[in-house]
Amino acid sequence: MPQSAMRIRLPRAVVSPGQSSVDVWQPSPFTLTLFLGPAVLIFVGFTAYPVLRTFYNSLYLVGPKGAATFVGLHNFSQVLQADPVFWTAVRNTAIFTLVGTPLDVFGGLLLALCLFAGVPFARSLRVIWFLPVLMSYVVVGIIWVWIYDYDWGALNLLLHAVGLGRLEHSWLGDPATALWAVMAAHLWKWLGFNMIVFLAALHALPSDVLGAAELDNCGWIAKSVYIIIPMLRPTLVNLLVLSFIGKMMIFDLVWIMTQGGPLWSTETVSTYVYKRAFDWNTFDLGYPSAIAVLWFIIIIAFVVVVSWLLRQRDRLEF
Amino acid sequence: MRLWLSYVRRTPLLLFLLGYTVLTGGPFLWVASMSLRTTSEIFANPYGLPRHPHWSNFADAWIGSNYSIYFWNSSLAVVSAVAGVTVIGAMAAHCLARYRFRSRRTVRFVILSGLVLPPQMLILSLFQILLDYRLYDTLPGLSIVYIATQLAMTVYLLEGFFSQIPQDLFDAARMDGYSDFEIFWRITLPIGVPAIFTTVILNFVILWNEFLYAVVLMTSDDKRTLPLGIMHFMGDHQLDVAMLATGLMIAIIPVALIYACFSETMIRGMTAGAVR
Amino acid sequence: MAIVSIDRLSKQYVSGGDFAVREVSLAVADGEFMVLLGPSGCGKTSVLRMIAGLEPITSGTVSIDGRVMNQVPAKGRDIAMVFQSYALYPHMSVRDNLAFGLRRRNVSSSEVTRRVHEVAGRLGLLPLLDRKPHALSGGQRQRVALGRAIIRQPKVFLFDEPLSNLDAALRVGTRAEISRQQREIGTTTIYVTHDQAEAMTIGHRICIMNAGEVVQIGAPMEVYRNPANAFVARFLGNPPMNLLPAMLEPGGDHARVHLAGMMFDLQQWPIGRLRAQLNREVTLGIRPEDLYENLPASMPRLRVHVRAIEPLGAETILLLAAGEQHHELVARVGRETSFRIGEWRDIAFDLRAVHLFDASSGRAVSPPAA
Repeated sequence: MPQSAMRIRLPRAVVSPGQSSVDVWQPSPFTLTLFLGPAVLIFVGFTAYPVLRTFYNSLYLVGPKGAATFVGLHNFSQVLQADPVFWTAVRNTAIFTLVGTPLDVFGGLLLALCLFAGVPFARSLRVIWFLPVLMSYVVVGIIWVWIYDYDWGALNLLLHAVGLGRLEHSWLGDPATALWAVMAAHLWKWLGFNMIVFLAALHALPSDVLGAAELDNCGWIAKSVYIIIPMLRPTLVNLLVLSFIGKMMIFDLVWIMTQGGPLWSTETVSTYVYKRAFDWNTFDLGYPSAIAVLWFIIIIAFVVVVSWLLRQRDRLEF
Repeated sequence: MRLWLSYVRRTPLLLFLLGYTVLTGGPFLWVASMSLRTTSEIFANPYGLPRHPHWSNFADAWIGSNYSIYFWNSSLAVVSAVAGVTVIGAMAAHCLARYRFRSRRTVRFVILSGLVLPPQMLILSLFQILLDYRLYDTLPGLSIVYIATQLAMTVYLLEGFFSQIPQDLFDAARMDGYSDFEIFWRITLPIGVPAIFTTVILNFVILWNEFLYAVVLMTSDDKRTLPLGIMHFMGDHQLDVAMLATGLMIAIIPVALIYACFSETMIRGMTAGAVR
Repeated sequence: MAIVSIDRLSKQYVSGGDFAVREVSLAVADGEFMVLLGPSGCGKTSVLRMIAGLEPITSGTVSIDGRVMNQVPAKGRDIAMVFQSYALYPHMSVRDNLAFGLRRRNVSSSEVTRRVHEVAGRLGLLPLLDRKPHALSGGQRQRVALGRAIIRQPKVFLFDEPLSNLDAALRVGTRAEISRQQREIGTTTIYVTHDQAEAMTIGHRICIMNAGEVVQIGAPMEVYRNPANAFVARFLGNPPMNLLPAMLEPGGDHARVHLAGMMFDLQQWPIGRLRAQLNREVTLGIRPEDLYENLPASMPRLRVHVRAIEPLGAETILLLAAGEQHHELVARVGRETSFRIGEWRDIAFDLRAVHLFDASSGRAVSPPAA
């Protein structure tokens, strides 16, 4: 049989120590550079380096044109001890997160459970419910600014129409209600997301277990609480963590609706960082960097604690 | 009798669902309707339908209020960023999914850690960095930053998909004599098209709506992206509700169109990662 | 078209960990069909992949036609492989799947077309050339995978359990097809399977592996008749060979075996050969087909209790228990049986077909002179 005209090229693949032959799935340096190079470069240049530089900045007073004076931990002590705005921002963000996250996630869970009970058109309707998720915060923010408008906004008009005219408010203008108003808008955007995730998770549950529960004569509520929710635990935890992190970093919606006003009532940590960096009378990037670093540590601590707790297989009561 | 009862029990639920649907979809219809009216009409009757649809609103917004520039800026920045992150991300994902090498776990962990990184840790330094490299307030600069922000998610999604392509296909190609790049080009890419498509759509929607990085890294009006442009307009012309509504529609329509065509893909793509 | 030889091949997946393949040595002659047979996890697929160049070798060498191939990457070894999952490129037509490997090797396009047609014709794939894999049945996909290997005209064919994804009926037909193609083309072939029936029918020689090591190499019937140890004895043959504990005792010029409460003379086994095993426990093996219901006069009898009867149509399987310890015994008898469940009956067994194995190592005790 004729030999095919074939050139055997020198192997480019690498022989690693401990092997006495060539390994085709070990990449040559050239292959590695070709495939991973661009990603690593971008990552290092525009993600890793900026993070490190933020840590660096936090220890300095960074003036205009890059003039940097070393101040050590001074920024941090200032932030923690001498900055009432920071603590207001922390308080606001904490309320936003600690109230908003459960509302967000458990609201979605409740809706999903109700839908799972068998409601017509659920599949088509979810296309509409997902719409806010896809919209820019600019769109969401402006729509809700209009809804909250004192004179012609939908909320006040609705209250008036049902006879609750005395509840009419300047929702975004009143420090007492502004944060809650923003939270409601945020909820409007994200509730659909959680609901759809839970619906998908519910449909993925093994139907034989649910069937066995039926045979065991479980009432609907008992079935939900003792069987379904525990089986949804991984998804639930996932969504809680996602929601938590997202809310801790909230910037866009607040900036668009209230810019942190009125009177710092909606100031969040991220809007404050922005303001200190770009909207302050003195230009200093070091101080806001310190705030960012502090907040980052808190978020990471949270993620680590939650992962640790999960590894301990603690029973979460809900 | 029983059937009737079950309907009765269900009525509150159905009403609630109807209400929720109205609450979710209603505002968009409202904005759409406002975009076709004049501001005076709107103030007279905020929730009515347009008497005569003012299609000219869109022309005015496009030309007169610079929305064409904002739209163009957004398109440029977003399309180039999506193209870039798809290519770079796919190559990285392929390498991580297919090859064995010592630093694989570390590289993977590091790149994916970008998923939980708060933007605040990046924006201030990126501001400095872009200034230093004279990329500040430029669309290419914004584009590169966008590639960096979306890289983690893209690599995560694509690596997950690529690693599920049966190894046998690649072994067969190896034996047939195909080189590393050819294997990527002729096997991973064609087979990975569904996943790549999903990431393209997701990246597009996320970047089209992106606000924070744009606000920090762009200042001149002729470089603003669409969300920034609308905000700017909002700041200057708060009362010109009709024009604002038209601007919003210009921002909404591309996303809505893509969604209309690919709703299932998008829903599944965005929620699949969270379902466990 | 080539001699493949493997010398002391070893594989550790984790450095310092267990050996998946331990010092395997094998020589496959030119044009021979060698089957690697063994249970899951015995290392046969690892050996195949090391020969192919898809898996790095920990130690030992792979040579083709005398040339050591360790440092040669897969594409340079002139080997074609048929994978268990067929590995057909899903986005390419059958024609392109067949041509893929050729195009890469500087074969002229007219030659490629010619060969595609030749191979497709040979395997009955001509009407399917423009279809994509998802539009083919399992058997058709298998043939395309086979075609892709044949078309390369390599020195060696490697098969990695190619029939395990097919249903039983298709399996029989396809293995005959593979056998036929190999005979016609004459390429040296190494074939991995865990199915002993497949191994028996398809290969020139079988290499049985277990736990990373070679246990026995030989022609199918030879390995079947003279298993090197109890593992091989039970692995080949369905239902598997019966293994019973027994005691060897001296009895004049031949040995006697104490089995299930009875004593039998082993005339065919000169006592000289069995000296080391006398007065020791052995394992006695007898295949189900060597047990007889109709009690020929020349054969010794065993008293058994009938536990279950499985009439299969062409034959009947009897599940029996022998002796006080109720050792399980499986017998294979004719179309009908007079045995009834629960009865105590006699069954005859062919002493000449008895195998003896060392009770601890499982190694076969020297067989009687053939």
